[in-house]
Amino acid sequence: MLMSLKRHKKREQARAYLYLFPILLFSVVFVYYPFLKTALFSVSTVNFMGEITGFSGLDNYRYLFSRREFSAALGNTLRLTAINVPLTLLIALCLGKLFSNSRPGNGLFQTLIASTMAVSMSAASMTFRVLLNPTIGWLNAFLGIGVRWYEDRNTALYGILMVTVWMGIGFGFLLFQAAFRNVDRSVVDSARLDGAGGMRILLLIELPLIRPTILYSVCTNTILALMTSGPVMIITKGGPSRATTTLIYLMYTTGYGSGNYAMAACIAIVSFFLTLLFTLVSLQSNKGEGIG
Amino acid sequence: MKKHSFSLPDAALLLLRIFLCLLVVFPCVYAFLGSFKTADEFSRLPPRLFPDSFLNLSNYEAVFTLAPMGRYFFNSAGTTLLVCIVKLLSAMLAAYAFTYFDFRFKKTLFVFLLGTMMIPADTVIVTNYQTVSRLALTDTWLGIAIVSFAGASQMFMLTQAFSQAPLALRQAAFLDGCSDLRFLFSVLLPYCRPVWVTLFMQAFVAQWNAYLWPLLVTNSDRMRTVQVGISMLTSTEDTNYQVILAGTVAAILPPVLLFILVRRLISHSLTEGAVSG
Repeated sequence: MLMSLKRHKKREQARAYLYLFPILLFSVVFVYYPFLKTALFSVSTVNFMGEITGFSGLDNYRYLFSRREFSAALGNTLRLTAINVPLTLLIALCLGKLFSNSRPGNGLFQTLIASTMAVSMSAASMTFRVLLNPTIGWLNAFLGIGVRWYEDRNTALYGILMVTVWMGIGFGFLLFQAAFRNVDRSVVDSARLDGAGGMRILLLIELPLIRPTILYSVCTNTILALMTSGPVMIITKGGPSRATTTLIYLMYTTGYGSGNYAMAACIAIVSFFLTLLFTLVSLQSNKGEGIG
Repeated sequence: MKKHSFSLPDAALLLLRIFLCLLVVFPCVYAFLGSFKTADEFSRLPPRLFPDSFLNLSNYEAVFTLAPMGRYFFNSAGTTLLVCIVKLLSAMLAAYAFTYFDFRFKKTLFVFLLGTMMIPADTVIVTNYQTVSRLALTDTWLGIAIVSFAGASQMFMLTQAFSQAPLALRQAAFLDGCSDLRFLFSVLLPYCRPVWVTLFMQAFVAQWNAYLWPLLVTNSDRMRTVQVGISMLTSTEDTNYQVILAGTVAAILPPVLLFILVRRLISHSLTEGAVSG
């Protein structure tokens, strides 16, 4: 009896490892291995074939930090993130609240707004590129302004921001309208009976109740914003005069474009630590009371 | 059935809703309207929103003749399905093992897999490119798909879902002589269908819209995906705004239609995910 139980346990172990094998393989080969290799590259001298030729300590980082394009990319990325995350959160929250109840037509509105999350980054970028074109685009003509958007170094980043914020709205909206709908009605009703107004109910009851959703949305948006590269690649190519160069875009052009693997690896590691830092901070700040 | 009586604030609120909804979907509407314009209309100033005629389909013809758009769609669909299937299957097997089996290093392996979520895929594309080219997979479907196979978040959500299924389910199935795999596919998966359908849709939309990696790993026109393909409509024909917009609309439609079709299911199970995850 004991023997067979032992044999059974052994079989179960073998089967467990068998079931885990595919995902472990993919994770090791295409996530951990390239990550460690990138970390190694960042402290090595690497030739243009991507072979390590020597150890260089922190020289690569020192060189990178002294480069003007790096500080420009870092600044742009942080600025994009600092504006994108709160703005997307605010818009998605407001829309989610406005469309969460079952008023006539809301089903259609919800479907329309949420379906924008299925629009790809490249399609959105192409559309905004035409829409914000200073001469033939419709936006300037409609608003009666002469902003040169992607052609002006002072406004180009805000043009990129419009694309990234717009792309975040659909998913955020979907999360929040569902979260608002799931708020326990009886709590809200009893608060109303106690004489609480709509604004107080929203701030003191509903928002605290949907805090997990807010936290989730802030975390995922922060990481997405720090990784911004697609719209830059499609619309501005990092210009004009580096006004829209982001970290990942710089990594792509130095690594794949110019074959400078060590430098690209440094940028990747810096981006990694940035996302780690921001994730930890937003997790921490949401642990206490209040809304993040 | 709740009765709605209209008052003035209600009407104002409805107008506000209609306005906001239009504002959000406006870029899509703009692309759609612009795709029917002629080059002449585009150069006319001041720019107008509506085309002269909705019968002008020449831009759509141009999209499919200027570039092998049909082939792009085929590539996108193939690689996206490949990713979704492999990703979800491997995540299901792992989630099953974590839920029902007892083995050494169980906790360690679980954390090890979750750790992959801390590494954004974009930061490792340059080194992944070296791996994929050494495997001679550049410019192939497998090369486009393979780097997205690891699905730690899917594994996590499925483990949550599996562990919420009653244990009696498995005991009953095993008394009936069910094997582990049979139980997984014919009892457990139907039981938590909303969860994996949602995960499938999320993975589908994400992979369909992937841009950076497919751009990097393909170099022949035949292997491009839709997203890469439409962004290249500019580099060849820089002033053909109407063709660009037609290409954009063509690329937007399939995932958006698919999305609308399964939206009800998604919006129900997403909330469960957001609360537990």
